[in-house]
Amino acid sequence: MAAVAVKYPAFQELGAEVLTVSVDSPTTHKEWNEKELSRMVEGGARYPMLSDTGGRIGSLYGVHDVKTRLDFRSHFLIDPQGVIQALEIVASPIGRNVAEILRQLRALQHYQATGEFVPCGWEPGKPTLPPEGEASSLSGKVWEVWKPRNAF
Amino acid sequence: MGIQIGDRAPDFKTNAYYRGIIQEIQLSRYQGHWVVLLFYPADFTFV
Repeated sequence: MAAVAVKYPAFQELGAEVLTVSVDSPTTHKEWNEKELSRMVEGGARYPMLSDTGGRIGSLYGVHDVKTRLDFRSHFLIDPQGVIQALEIVASPIGRNVAEILRQLRALQHYQATGEFVPCGWEPGKPTLPPEGEASSLSGKVWEVWKPRNAF
Repeated sequence: MGIQIGDRAPDFKTNAYYRGIIQEIQLSRYQGHWVVLLFYPADFTFV
C-alpha cells in the first residue's frame, strides 16, 4: 500500500477518493501507518484506512477468503453515480500496479467525458477511437487508424 | 453471485483510521466522486 500512498496526489488530481480496506482494526492501521508507511512515504497514508471486521465488506464485494479470513488484494473503481466500472482481483502474493489503476481511472474518465473508445494501452495523449455510432464506420478499418505500437 | 461491472457498489459503513483518529466512514457519502476502493490481505505484510 506504500505505492498507493506515494501516488495519492495523482488520485486527488483526478478528483478520486481513495479508500483502503483490510480486516485489521483501526488501531492496527494506526500502528502500521506510524511504524512503517510513514517511514517509506512522507505523511504516510493520507486517506481513510478502513477496518473490515469479520470480512463483512470483502464478502459484499466477493473478495473475502473464508479460508484465510483475509480479503484478497483487489481494486474496484466506482464512478460518481456509485456504479462499478472496473474491478481486479489478484492472488495475494502478487503486488498491484498502481500506475495501471491510475490509467484505468483516466481512461474511464475520458470515456465518460467524451464517449470516445479508449483502446489497448491508452494513456492521455494517445489516439482514441470515435464514439459509438461513428465507430461502426471503422469496422474492419481499425488497422488504418490504430497501430499496435500505440498499446505500449 | 459476484459483483459485476455496471452493478451499484454495495454500500457499507465501518470504522477507519483517518487523519490521526478513528472515525466512521460510509461509502455512499462519496457519491459524486470517483472512488478507488482497494482491498489488501493485512497490515504489516509486504507492501
